[in-house]
Amino acid sequence: MANFFPRWTNYIPLKLAICAGIAVVGVIAAFAYYATPETQRVGYMPSQPIPYNHELHVQQLGLDCRYCHSFVEHSGHANIPTANTCWNCHQHVKKDSPKLEPLRRAIDETYEGYDGRPIEWVRVHQAPDYAYFNHSAHVNRGISCESCHGDVHEMEEVYHAKSLTMGFCIDCHREPENNLRPLEEVYNLDYDPDEYLEQNRDVATLVNDFIANNDKLSGKKLSSQQKLGHYLKDHWNVAPKESCATCHR
Amino acid sequence: MSKRVLHHPDVPEQEADLSVWRSVREHEDTIKFRHQAIREFQDEEDTMDEDERELSRRNFVKLMGASTALAGLGLVSCRRPESYILPYADGPEWIVPGRPLFYATTMPAAGGAIPLVATTYESRPTKLAPNAKHPDNMGTDAMVQASILNLYSPSRSKEFLNKGAKASKADFDAFFNGFVKNPGKLGVVLGNDESPTRNRLAAQIAKKFPSVKFYNYEALENVAAEEAIAKAFGASKVKLTPKLEKADRILSFDSDFIELDAQSSSLQYSKKRQGGGENYDQEIDKKKMNRHYQVEAVFSLTGGMADHRLRVAPSQVAKVAVAVAREVLALKPTAALTQAVSGLSASFTGDEDYITDWVRECAKDLVAKAGKSLVLAGSNQPAEVHLLALALNDALGAFGKTINAYASKSSPTGSLLDLKKDVDGGAVDSLLLLTPSNPLFDAAADVDFASILDKVKVSVHLGERTDKTAYACDWHIPANHYLESWGDALTANGYYSIVQPLILPLYPDTFSEMDILTALTNGVALEAATAEAPSAGYEEVKTTFTKQFAKSASDWNNLLKNGFAKERGYAGATFGTVPSLKSLAAKYEKTPSKDALEVILAKDHSVADGRYIDNAWLQEAPDPVVKLTWDNAAIVSPKTAKSIGVYKEIAQLETDNAGRPEIGEAGKARAPMAEIKVGDTTVTLPVIIGYGQADYTISLPVGYGQASDDGRKSSDSFDEAKPTVGHVGKNTGFNVYPLRKETSQFLLAGAKVTPTKEKYPIASTQEHHAMYGRALAREISTMESPSKGDYKKQLKKVGQQGMDSHIPENIPLYKSKDTEKNDLISDKIHQWGMAIDLNTCTGCNACLIACQAENNIPVVGKEQVAKGREMHWIRMDRYYAAQTKEYDSHGHKIKYKEGEKAGEYKKVPKWVTENPAVLPQPVACTQCESAPCETVCPVNATVHTEEGLNAMAYNRCIGTRYCANNCPLKARRFNFFDYNKRNPLIKKNLYKGPFGEKKVGSPESLQRNPNVSVRMRGVMEKCTYCVQALELAKIKQKQITKKKAESAGSSVIAAASVNAADLRIARDSVQVACQSACPSDAISFGNLLRDGDNTPDKDRVVKAKESKRNYELLKYVGLFARTTYLARVKNPNPEMPDAKYIGLATINIH
Repeated sequence: MANFFPRWTNYIPLKLAICAGIAVVGVIAAFAYYATPETQRVGYMPSQPIPYNHELHVQQLGLDCRYCHSFVEHSGHANIPTANTCWNCHQHVKKDSPKLEPLRRAIDETYEGYDGRPIEWVRVHQAPDYAYFNHSAHVNRGISCESCHGDVHEMEEVYHAKSLTMGFCIDCHREPENNLRPLEEVYNLDYDPDEYLEQNRDVATLVNDFIANNDKLSGKKLSSQQKLGHYLKDHWNVAPKESCATCHR
Repeated sequence: MSKRVLHHPDVPEQEADLSVWRSVREHEDTIKFRHQAIREFQDEEDTMDEDERELSRRNFVKLMGASTALAGLGLVSCRRPESYILPYADGPEWIVPGRPLFYATTMPAAGGAIPLVATTYESRPTKLAPNAKHPDNMGTDAMVQASILNLYSPSRSKEFLNKGAKASKADFDAFFNGFVKNPGKLGVVLGNDESPTRNRLAAQIAKKFPSVKFYNYEALENVAAEEAIAKAFGASKVKLTPKLEKADRILSFDSDFIELDAQSSSLQYSKKRQGGGENYDQEIDKKKMNRHYQVEAVFSLTGGMADHRLRVAPSQVAKVAVAVAREVLALKPTAALTQAVSGLSASFTGDEDYITDWVRECAKDLVAKAGKSLVLAGSNQPAEVHLLALALNDALGAFGKTINAYASKSSPTGSLLDLKKDVDGGAVDSLLLLTPSNPLFDAAADVDFASILDKVKVSVHLGERTDKTAYACDWHIPANHYLESWGDALTANGYYSIVQPLILPLYPDTFSEMDILTALTNGVALEAATAEAPSAGYEEVKTTFTKQFAKSASDWNNLLKNGFAKERGYAGATFGTVPSLKSLAAKYEKTPSKDALEVILAKDHSVADGRYIDNAWLQEAPDPVVKLTWDNAAIVSPKTAKSIGVYKEIAQLETDNAGRPEIGEAGKARAPMAEIKVGDTTVTLPVIIGYGQADYTISLPVGYGQASDDGRKSSDSFDEAKPTVGHVGKNTGFNVYPLRKETSQFLLAGAKVTPTKEKYPIASTQEHHAMYGRALAREISTMESPSKGDYKKQLKKVGQQGMDSHIPENIPLYKSKDTEKNDLISDKIHQWGMAIDLNTCTGCNACLIACQAENNIPVVGKEQVAKGREMHWIRMDRYYAAQTKEYDSHGHKIKYKEGEKAGEYKKVPKWVTENPAVLPQPVACTQCESAPCETVCPVNATVHTEEGLNAMAYNRCIGTRYCANNCPLKARRFNFFDYNKRNPLIKKNLYKGPFGEKKVGSPESLQRNPNVSVRMRGVMEKCTYCVQALELAKIKQKQITKKKAESAGSSVIAAASVNAADLRIARDSVQVACQSACPSDAISFGNLLRDGDNTPDKDRVVKAKESKRNYELLKYVGLFARTTYLARVKNPNPEMPDAKYIGLATINIH
């Protein structure tokens, strides 16, 4: 009887195994790259009904974050401004720009397309329904907007800068010193700890004394941010919780 | 391998005694009940029905296959869907997105309005709480808490009806605009609540159109009694408001004054009940504690609180009242009392002999405390009993001291009977119904309201529901909810309080009573409120206030802010005298017997007079005493049940070898049906047992049976084209109003009961989640107990009742330390704890419903409740307790040594054991420090927080239910279905999976608390001490960093130091939902850590836990629970015949 299976077929199982292996590794790699929040979210930049330019308003015109996101210190939500907040200035500035048409539809009663309906801004950052993030809890304790939202003041169009995964939250809850800053610098998105310590010599002394007298920290190599962060954490009694009920209820 | 069963230590026979029980089957100690007590969930065999079993295996595979395929399709779009943020176009003042905003408002009610503070989120009312600043703060009861759901009821009336058919506003306007110009001989029927603006408008209308007449009607108001009382005071309308905080001795003749008959704040009663220890600064002082005597037929919550409860038929209450009056007369004669009881006599012989002593000693005690004692009569009782109570109060010097009498300033109005006369006589030929009642359904049968409607030319009805009356009238106007309308009301002591709207009407065509009366006054059309212009009621209320109550212009703003004004809308009234009450003798002459039972038509704890039939929260809340949900039933005592011949069927006695009984309280629970015949009228409804009820009486809660399509008798049939109820109220209960007669509105004699062969499925929760262990709810007595010593000794031994008397000190092997030896429950700023005081808890369900509102707890429907799947996080346990055997000084039962009864135990007299006490006990998760649930969760979905909460991460839960199996308190609830998404009230809907009808977008979802996850199918849930409220309070406190720096004047905030005390929220500043709702202040909650050791620095809860009455539930299991309980104290009169058995039911339990 002739060889029913030619010799080359001996390698088929091996080839199949290798292919399957590559396929599995490929799927995992693709999943790890494409399906994680880091890839899914970071860089998400939907186009908005009005191409609002943060760079222009903050850097060039010097608006504070809280002019528009006015309740960030008082509420869990950092509110998107109401149409009349925009209208305060824009009834005088660039009123007739076609880009502001949705605003005028919402607020300008003299405009022919006026319908009084709110502007539908596209949500960029979204916490899941079961996670209850509270802005006021963070900004009132020295966590800057920048820590989670990135350099919004330099964005011409807002995009999702950080992953904002649960791991991202927990990292900071475990080591808040990497992000804590003096309260007056929370809305200063150009903040630099070195510069701050330079300008506030008395704080720098306090920080250095604190680090020098702390057994656990004194020998370590710490950045200025970490030094100041450790000092503030101790001084303000910052003890972020890691238990589930902190954010989930 | 069989399941290992934990064997609880046996009790020595000498000491064994079942003196505390929760259901008939437990009382009879059936196998079935014992089997159920050791399980977390009910037996699968019991709870799975055909559909579920069908679904179980084959369908599961089928569905899994289908869903996998669908999941594949879903993968096509990986990115989450785009979502939008819609800020206000024009931001309203005060609204901060994400932050609650509170408004003071008032719920109008017949006994006195209820001052409230409502929580709104972005203008959406979500939760009601009592207005603690109001001088007449009444707390809230279950109905008040649930009233917010009526606002969002899907079956609310939204459209005009013309002769039962839908009509437009324009159609109505065409009729109404002519009507208001010339209403002619109009009869206006109002509710019984007191509203100054309404009174003013009514007076104006009467002046403008002299032919218009006004009437009052609410189904359960005792008109005869009110008229008689008013006469005794020589006024047209009188409001009696007891001052419970001043009353040291209270005698109540069938009055449920804490709950359903409430005339004033029961908070004051609780305060007095605490004997000077209401803030837990001291133990209860028996001298300062009040003593409460209750004479009643059916167990009420008030009767449950009483120190001495006399169980007599309703007709015999009058006899007891006469006997008391004669005793008081002998000790303290007054003219009024002499006149009242002249020609009346009452004596008790034979089986009732003990009543003679009871009455004498009670009267003595009342007289001894004259000036501090109070007598109240229930609204079910005839006018004579009310007058007798007035005469007694007069004799005891109660007026002005323990009871206030107020005269209403409203002009006199007629009753429903007057209306009938006027319609028959032609004085009224058109009708405007503004009463919240449903007269076609609930008026006495012989008033024949249908004929009134037939006779009038035109009838207009205003109502929130399209009830029977709405369809029968010529026009129906959809009504606003009180949270949508402007109005005003007077509270129990007459304080002017404002009803202020929190939201524009949800539906465009709804109107309030004020709108209609204003239209009549001014002869204008009905205009709905808009964002620009408030409804007409606004101007009218403002006018009333500025004309009658305001002193300065700024008062209006203060009124809106506080919800009340200091001015009162009542004048004082002085007691005159009462006539001779000879007619009373005939009423108590006959005692009820086996062949002629007495029927009591009672206000229902869930639906009131029927108006809340479509409120799912109330329907699902178990009746506080008999624990029935979704239905009403005839309630009888065990002896009566035996005489009717249904007891065995209910108890279903069985032996160890008997097969599984058909009756159980699981999915197959059936109650025997019986026909109840009074005169020519028969109603048919199921019979259940209520302990402590007078023999040969039947209690029939009213208001149910408004529509059904399952062919039941004693219910109106459901008409698809004219739905009188929504999904909630359909097929619930039986209509007993047909029994009602104008002459005997609430009490009927000579009833005959015949059991039919039929059975009716009931959903009763009394056996659900039954805990093992003894002395779960505990009580002691201020009197000396033969076995346990005096009050002080009993107090000391509260912690050693039941199993706790023979446990070693618990030394846990498991140490809750992390690897660095730090405490796992580590927070040094907050550690939460709760104490529930059983001494003031009445078991009223307010906490249960407040929790439901706060925590987005779904309703599951009758079938699911029957299976033990109700979702209430707080379970209101109710124990009946009665000492059955006598004990000696060693705590052993006394055995007869010689004589006829040698070898038998000495028994407590039957009249005492047949009248058990009621011990309510709310049980929710107790946040055990060594929680058994946490160790068994395979996915760490339930873990402890640093602050001592046993948290639930819902999104992590995979639904193994191990935790619930391991919870000795059975405090965990499992979402067997997607109760929030699929409407569980549609038959079989839950079992249709993805094909079932969805509830998405129905108006109830507007009530949801945005700070709490809405749980889905397959997730375990339970109480977490309103963790959302705690987190918000802590976050608010964190703003202190900035404040501290600013107050230090430093520009460099980094330099300001913040310590633990700064971050600790202020003492008692956060209230959990159940605590704030509690109308008797029985729940304390707060931070167990404190700033200093001084008493004033401690949170109330800490002081409560330091009380000797404090004990831990199931302590022998070693849970280290954060919620603890405080034992109940009874304050018996040592001279009373039953004194030595009061408050001692749990004390001898080992």
